[in-house]
Amino acid sequence: MHARPPRAVQAIVALFIPFACREEVLGDFQERCTSPTQYCRDAIVTVLLVILSRIRRTANPQLLLMHAFVLYLSFYGAAWFKTPELLYGSWGLMRLAIPGAITLLALVLEDAYAKPGYRSPLRLARGPLLGFAWTLLSQAAFQTAHSSLALPFWIVLYGGALGLLLTSALRMLFSPPSTSPQGPI
Amino acid sequence: MAKPDSIGQFEQLVLTAILTRRDDAYGVTIHSKVEELASPKTVSLGAIYVTLDRLEDKGLVKSWLSDPTPERGGRAKRCYRLEALGERALEESAVTAKRIWDGIVEVWGKEWVRDMSKEWGKRLGREAG
Repeated sequence: MHARPPRAVQAIVALFIPFACREEVLGDFQERCTSPTQYCRDAIVTVLLVILSRIRRTANPQLLLMHAFVLYLSFYGAAWFKTPELLYGSWGLMRLAIPGAITLLALVLEDAYAKPGYRSPLRLARGPLLGFAWTLLSQAAFQTAHSSLALPFWIVLYGGALGLLLTSALRMLFSPPSTSPQGPI
Repeated sequence: MAKPDSIGQFEQLVLTAILTRRDDAYGVTIHSKVEELASPKTVSLGAIYVTLDRLEDKGLVKSWLSDPTPERGGRAKRCYRLEALGERALEESAVTAKRIWDGIVEVWGKEWVRDMSKEWGKRLGREAG
């Protein structure tokens, strides 16, 4: 027996499913739906795998490695320029990797959730911009909760801005081509 | 002629499900057929999506969006069909499975085949009952 899932639940589930496969996955959930509880269980068990599969399809390991390198270099350069003593302090080099890792995560998720086939310079810069915003937010959170992991504000600002420029340029130069209807950007 | 990559057991199940469902192969029907083939193991719908994506990337299957239907809330289905490479990969798997079967029968004998057939018959009867 089919049941209609609540609209609010459907809307929340839709937010988590990458755009490229949202239509068919939501349709399959609705077709299998026998009760709202079963719908939620289906969504919880399935959505994470759908996201991971989408990331596997859209992420380019070589490009990610290049992004990781330029991001780390940006924050290292900013630290070397503004506060060189940070480089020799305890966990100094490790702390510089945190904002880069957060930006990288934003780039991966932005690619996974992007609309396939739609390409524009603004769309390519959206991932790095999102990464920069997440970096600022995470550093603010570290300042209040775990200040030993936080970086000085000027390093975050200079490193983030340089990283934003370099990653945007890399994405414009080496954007992955579209290979299938569900494939990368 | 392109040679297909070797495929795993779960991929074989998904390809078989697509083959048997013909024009009606999409997420839900493929999942129910794979559950039937893999019985008594249960299979998650997420595992089916991951495998279908991988098979499409390998060029073994092709997908397209069908027209929206009301029972799916006006949403389309993503239908799948086997590509020539997928058919060849499945054929190779079937030939290998046949060789394994023949090898086992050669060593364990016809009696083992009879016992196994009885056991499978009982199991299938229990599931149907």
